[in-house]
Amino acid sequence: MKFNIEDLPILFPYPRIYPEQYAYMCDLKKTLDAGGHCVLEMPSGTGKTVSLLSLIVAYQQYYPEHRKLIYCSRTMSEIEKALAELKALMKYREEQLGYKEDFRGLGLTSRKNLCLHPLVKREKSGAVVDARCRSLTAGFVKEKKDRGEDVPVCIYHDNLDHLEPHNLIPNGVWTLDGIMRYGEEHKQCPYFTSRRMMSFCNVIIYSYHYLLDPKIAERVSKELSKDCIVVFDEAHNIDNVCIESLSTDITEDSLRKATRGAQNLESKISEMKDNDSEKLMNEYAKLVEGLRDADEARQEDAFMSNPALPDDLLNEAVPGNIRRAEHFVAFLKRFIEYLKTRMKVRQVISETPLSFLAHLKEYTFIEKKPLRFCAERLTSLVRTLELTNIEDYQPLQEVATFATLVATYEKGFLLILEPYESDTAEVPNPVLHFTCLDAAIAIKPVFDRFSSVIITSGTISPLEMYPKMLGFETVVQESYSMTLARRSFLPMIVTRGSDQVPVSSGFAVRNEPSVVRNYGNLLTEFSKLTPDGMVVFFPSYLYMESIISMWQGMGILDEVWKYKLILVETPDAQETSLALETYRTACCNGRGAILLCVARGKVSEGIDFDHQYGRTVLCIGVPFQYTESRILKARLEFLRETYRIRENDFLSFDAMRHAAQCLGRVLRGKDDYGIMVLADKRFLKKRNQLPKWINQAILESEVNLSTDMAVGSAKKFLRGMAQPFKNVDQEGISTWSLADLEKHKEKQDEENIRALQEAQREAMEGGAIQREVDMDEFDDDEAEAGMMELDG
Amino acid sequence: MSRPSKPSLTDNPLDDICPVCKSNRYLNPSLQFLINPECYHKMCSTCVDRIFTSGPTCCPVPRCGKTLRKRGFHQAFFGDLKIEEECDIRKRVGDVFNRRQEDFETLRHWNDYLQDVEDLVFDLVKGSAKTKRRAEETLEEYRVKNLAVIEENKKAGQEAASLERQREKAEREAAKQRRLAMAREEEEEKMDVEKMKRSALDRLANSNEDANAIARQAQKGILKKTSARRTLTDAPTNESTTSVRDSGLSIRGLKKKVAPVVEKEYDPFGGIDLTPTRYILQDHYENDYLAGFVKGQPTAMTGGYSLHEYYGRSMLEAFSGLGVFIEDEIASRNQPAAMATIKAEARDDVF
Ligand code: SF4
Ligand SMILES: [Zn+2]
Ligand SMILES: [Zn+2]
Repeated sequence: MKFNIEDLPILFPYPRIYPEQYAYMCDLKKTLDAGGHCVLEMPSGTGKTVSLLSLIVAYQQYYPEHRKLIYCSRTMSEIEKALAELKALMKYREEQLGYKEDFRGLGLTSRKNLCLHPLVKREKSGAVVDARCRSLTAGFVKEKKDRGEDVPVCIYHDNLDHLEPHNLIPNGVWTLDGIMRYGEEHKQCPYFTSRRMMSFCNVIIYSYHYLLDPKIAERVSKELSKDCIVVFDEAHNIDNVCIESLSTDITEDSLRKATRGAQNLESKISEMKDNDSEKLMNEYAKLVEGLRDADEARQEDAFMSNPALPDDLLNEAVPGNIRRAEHFVAFLKRFIEYLKTRMKVRQVISETPLSFLAHLKEYTFIEKKPLRFCAERLTSLVRTLELTNIEDYQPLQEVATFATLVATYEKGFLLILEPYESDTAEVPNPVLHFTCLDAAIAIKPVFDRFSSVIITSGTISPLEMYPKMLGFETVVQESYSMTLARRSFLPMIVTRGSDQVPVSSGFAVRNEPSVVRNYGNLLTEFSKLTPDGMVVFFPSYLYMESIISMWQGMGILDEVWKYKLILVETPDAQETSLALETYRTACCNGRGAILLCVARGKVSEGIDFDHQYGRTVLCIGVPFQYTESRILKARLEFLRETYRIRENDFLSFDAMRHAAQCLGRVLRGKDDYGIMVLADKRFLKKRNQLPKWINQAILESEVNLSTDMAVGSAKKFLRGMAQPFKNVDQEGISTWSLADLEKHKEKQDEENIRALQEAQREAMEGGAIQREVDMDEFDDDEAEAGMMELDG
Repeated sequence: MSRPSKPSLTDNPLDDICPVCKSNRYLNPSLQFLINPECYHKMCSTCVDRIFTSGPTCCPVPRCGKTLRKRGFHQAFFGDLKIEEECDIRKRVGDVFNRRQEDFETLRHWNDYLQDVEDLVFDLVKGSAKTKRRAEETLEEYRVKNLAVIEENKKAGQEAASLERQREKAEREAAKQRRLAMAREEEEEKMDVEKMKRSALDRLANSNEDANAIARQAQKGILKKTSARRTLTDAPTNESTTSVRDSGLSIRGLKKKVAPVVEKEYDPFGGIDLTPTRYILQDHYENDYLAGFVKGQPTAMTGGYSLHEYYGRSMLEAFSGLGVFIEDEIASRNQPAAMATIKAEARDDVF
């Protein structure tokens, strides 16, 4: 399908387009033209990714700037999906245009997913793969090899050096699978191919972290230019990602390991002093001049990168008291010992970075400034010492990162020491949380650097919350409703059981047998009437466990068992994926199944239950966060103090975005249908916080239901869904052909013209009146002047 | 912030045994270890009481030989006693080498200084007996030479610290106030809504208007109230936060401004340079008139007569008026005066 938005010709790879897709593209274009940021909420299952890609690719190809697209998504599977869409789009464009465009699209994920080295790729943990790869590919390894020493290297990496640096891989769109295959064929490392080609491609698709986590971003995304278009897809949780990327936890164990790392460093230094003191001297000389110089030598594989160091710091010389290697190691040791001592305290402490620094200085005479340089200094040292088993120094690196962060940011961070895991625990297991409270800190460089940042998701309501929390301004803020030819999903709010007792997961009543029984009845009734799959979400694991055991005692599970298989999500990823597989099988073969899971668990994010996999989603209780958590409390306070977002507003916003995520799981397209049940009386007041497309679909008569009423509605709805539904019925309403689109555009143009004319007419009339008024005034003035004259 | 209140068992079992009496913390959880900064040998508090109560004696650790007093014992802050010792040394060195970055002309100098200090500390901590002695000497030498500077920097450091503390306190106080205000606001809002609701109920009960209309009206009123209050309260609190921040800044700025003014001496002539420009006053002039009876005569001097004063006055009188050219001055004086009259005339015209 080929059409224009204003002057921009767009090739859309499907014969039909949804009205909301068209609106979405128009707004995207508006944002790009204006060169600003936007927040867009597009109902799930309406082809958000493809609209986004086809508009932006068209934009890239049509305008001479050829702005690059950076598309960030959350998970591997989403990245893979987006790449596949892009590939299909480019193929369609080629067919339509009749020639192949000069275009390159690449995806990037961690080494763990892309590594080809037979030994390294077998490692299970991502961190270990990273570290082992670094020790094979670091710059000094190559130097050693050139000198003729026998060191292990990675052939996949070294082969890249024989290729032209800007043409490591031919044009085209490369899915992750595709690039792996290409790498295997040509014996070149897919990871480094992607990374080095980043500045030479039109579209990059990778995970949030490559842009948000300052430790990675500095390294991977440094060369991207200012006019790139940045898209954060599925961004409803972006604030949490930001916060996590700057927070660290320190435990006694990690401190012990860090000490060991420091001791190793010490012995390595004295070794080097005896054999090869020149290298240390060189490093020292460089550091005297400033970090930036030392930085020149920094390769893509630095041991780690500094967390968000301000530029002025990089230009400054390293403080004199940590310039020498042995001084620096002593410095680290002192810092670690201090942390160890702090960990021995047996009461909860929360303090600001400032007061932490003051106390630190009092006892260890460590000043703020050298502390800030810690991470960078360690990187330099590790490089100088040519360490290969880098994974051993991971904990030390964490401590150094922590040191740098705590000395760099005064505001927006808090240190919380929790000596016990829970209030009832006897054995201490102290954790020092260094938590970021301000999501804006991590994302600020992104907004500063790129002129257009697009934040989009299926559920990102209320829209104004995000600019507030992340500290940016939008050009366009829009939430689209879903056009439907028939009512294909039925959202309901159930507030009481058949016996009229209100249901709620509120703390006071959640364990009352009557409430639990009513929830149980709801489950039984819906398991009876729902075809195939049904997904149930609980606010937390704890609550899920207790309610399941109570249901067991009441015989409810036995009843449900007659109709459906019951499967449960657990915190263990492997168990959960097994449960999911079983669930899918049961849904496909007609047995039907119920999946009990948690609203903040893995299932609620990123796993789709389309078609038979999910016909009903049941949200038991409002998925509030665990408010007793000290970190959450601190964040709430910060939000209130800084952004004037009230505790309750934030908590309810957060709960509702998770609820909306859960609801969105079952509806993955326009031909899909499903029932969405929100079972808690508190949802009544919160329904306005649901995304527009869900909220609009809730009928007034379905907001305050008891179980039996809900069952009635659901039955009626399912009967309606069972009627044959032809595609033709959708034509012109929920899907547009080209003709429909043209018609719509014409209508809109007409409307625009009419509006313009009206405005003009009004302006004219208004102008006339205005002029008259002016005249009057003038007259008056003159008359008055005349009078004055007379008076005079 | 406090020292560890109840130390738990450490992972290294040797760390939980008193090296002197071999009692074990595993068996006696209240066991407390103390050290003396003379030699940093660890022992339990019972041992300290037992050995040192009767007066200073030798350290019980074999081959130590230092004489210790009970007064010197305290609990170690660090688990690693080497670090404890290092930090004590650092404290000593830091008290002496307490220059600040402002004292240095360039960053490079400051960094070099930092490194020198660090080297000294390293000598004191890790050096052989000889380097240690030498380092001690350097330290002492520097201390004696720079007594005044050290004292000054110390004072400045303390001042900065106290200012910092004050600022922090003010901030905390402000945050508390804000929190209270917020809570109050919420409370009031709730009461307002409650009142509205009640009045709506009353109206429903007592009048015979359309019930739906009343309900709707009430709802609207409540909504308006809450949103209005929100916007209303947004503004003033914002103001108050900025003002709080401002006052914090001004305290800092003020102190800094006051300090240099105080240091300057009072100058009655307001900065006019009084040293003669055309001649140099000498201590002695050949003068027959004076030489005869004033010089060396106590009778002439007792009244406070000063030869120097006399020379100065005579020279001033001799030279005064030499650099003044009256014509020039008159000419330059006339011009502005003329201007002024013109202006005055112009102004006259206006009236
Ligand atoms: S260079 Fe590539 S293939 Fe080689 S170890 Fe690293 S990630 Fe694996
Ligand atoms: Zn003892
Ligand atoms: Zn001793």
